[in-house]
Amino acid sequence: MIFLETLLATLLPGDENWPSGALVAADVAADAPDAVVTLAAALPSFTVGNEAALRAAEAAHPAAFERLVSAAYLAYYNAPPVRQVLARLTGYEDRPPQPLGYALPPFDPSLLDRQRARAPFWRDPDKDTP
Amino acid sequence: MALTKEADLIMAPTGCDVAIIGAGASGLAAAWLLASRGLSVVVLEQGQRVDQRAASSLTPQWERDLQTRFNADPNVRRLPSDYPVTVENTPIRPATYSGVGGATLRWGAHFPRLRPADFRVRSLDGVAEDWPIGYRDLEPWFDLNDAMMGVSGMAGDPANPPRPARAMPPLPLGVGPGRLAAAFDRLGWHWWPSDSAVCSTEYRGRGACNLCGPCSVGCVRHARASADIAYAGPAEAAGARILTGARALRITAGAKGVDYSRGGARHHLAAGTVIVAANGMGSARLLLISGLANNSGLVGRHLMHHPTALVTGQFAERMDGHKGPFACALYCQEFIETDPARGFLRGYQMQIARGGGPVQTALGGYMARIPWGKSHHAELVRQFLHVTSLTVTSEDLPNPDNRVTLDPSRTDSDGLPAAALTYRVGDNTRRMLDHGIARASEALREAGAESLSVNPLAAAAGFHFLGTTRMGTNPATSVVDADCRSHDLPDLMVIDGGVFVTAGGVNPTSTIQAIALRAADALATRLGASA
Repeated sequence: MIFLETLLATLLPGDENWPSGALVAADVAADAPDAVVTLAAALPSFTVGNEAALRAAEAAHPAAFERLVSAAYLAYYNAPPVRQVLARLTGYEDRPPQPLGYALPPFDPSLLDRQRARAPFWRDPDKDTP
Repeated sequence: MALTKEADLIMAPTGCDVAIIGAGASGLAAAWLLASRGLSVVVLEQGQRVDQRAASSLTPQWERDLQTRFNADPNVRRLPSDYPVTVENTPIRPATYSGVGGATLRWGAHFPRLRPADFRVRSLDGVAEDWPIGYRDLEPWFDLNDAMMGVSGMAGDPANPPRPARAMPPLPLGVGPGRLAAAFDRLGWHWWPSDSAVCSTEYRGRGACNLCGPCSVGCVRHARASADIAYAGPAEAAGARILTGARALRITAGAKGVDYSRGGARHHLAAGTVIVAANGMGSARLLLISGLANNSGLVGRHLMHHPTALVTGQFAERMDGHKGPFACALYCQEFIETDPARGFLRGYQMQIARGGGPVQTALGGYMARIPWGKSHHAELVRQFLHVTSLTVTSEDLPNPDNRVTLDPSRTDSDGLPAAALTYRVGDNTRRMLDHGIARASEALREAGAESLSVNPLAAAAGFHFLGTTRMGTNPATSVVDADCRSHDLPDLMVIDGGVFVTAGGVNPTSTIQAIALRAADALATRLGASA
């Protein structure tokens, strides 16, 4: 788990706003166990922040790396502490889409005035066939 | 979406007038029409019923569901109802779903019709083949299907033939689509609000869309039409039986019935007519497994997708693309008719794709994922809520070497061969996509995008499987006739997108359903069923 936490902290570094990716190590270990094994073997002495070594592992094991990154992003951006940061930084409503949904102004038919002025331009094969 | 517990494991029927394989867009439409005419209809569906009222958009797990059990790719989803698809020889992965409602359970509900010229490609443009039917043959069935599905939009589009007033007004555009509409106007290009199979107002007991965004996890308000919502209830009310968890194993000799598995047992269903409606991949697979309807040697060949490119614009101000149905806003058909000066034949549609939630933004959706590492969070904040995309939906041309075959080694949970896809994007299509990328980029810049990112071919956009059992008048060059009957076995029909002769440059479901209704009507008439 320490290896995975180190790797995730490099993929998704923490700072004054964002939690470290190590937050979701348990989820990633459960979702992509084979990828973790592959990358652990490829990075026997990995240290946090060593992006060069991680990029070399990405090039050498692209499929495993992709599975691990996908699992990491999925778990990380579903984690409540991360959603709360996202809401604070972007204004995104941290709630499920339903049942409230969202509101937008209704469609304004006057937007189509220029398009309505255009003559039909679809081809009618009954008239256009050579 | 919650999966309902199968409650109808009751005595299996042994015979019927019509057996339909697949409870998706075409199968349920046909089941409704045939049962309404008094025929006994049994639908075999390998998936389950889905309770969309309990969709996970009500929970914090909705984005996880989108990536896992409601992932579009059956090779990722790996539900018991899925069959594996071998994709080593194609750049486009399948996007399907098995269940009552089929792929419409997780579709975007963009609902254009093929256009008159799409049925006369050989006559007008000298490529591919003409269809044995035309737009006007389908027009009444388009209208009937629109009423059943519930369509929001606006009549009067100069890019399309006249059609009746839409049942509901267009869905709201929102910020990004509004910017692009104005940009298209300034460029002098066409745009029009989408015909959407999404209720913008209450309709036939269904709620109005409240713009929650992730249609693909199911619609708790039943505002977004799917075949289960629009057709399953009416079909069952008319007497059709839908057997879930029922996987067709083979169509028996002479198309006199179907062997299927259900609940760990094997059954036989005798039928006067067998209709295959399992999409252009699944139907071809089943016919190949059954060794039927293939005297032409064309079952599985001429596979067409709608190869899709995407251009995403990043804007300084918020686009709020998470608000509103992700696939339904507006389209541009400025470049859909052939203009040889462009360097390719046929054309393409551009369609707005709104944004997604945090996970989809990070993973990239149809685009590349946001890079990991020190710059990750800054880039995510720059993009999240600040992007709008245009898809370029290109018209594929039929190529007999693009095909569905049976995998010689992989099998599904019933031991049936996996489908194997062999496909390459044609040169004409590639030129079309490149033209579309340039035009989409121009439009997004005109709309004020600060930067653009391009995906020249969306690998995950294998939504549509067309052409694999194509219709025609010549048994040597087609699989079914104009009424979707097998040339070899008149009591065997195929009614899904496999019957398309050419693909058109628009989303096909409206046309698939119109063809299915027309074919079902012709069958009912042949069988003497009352109108």
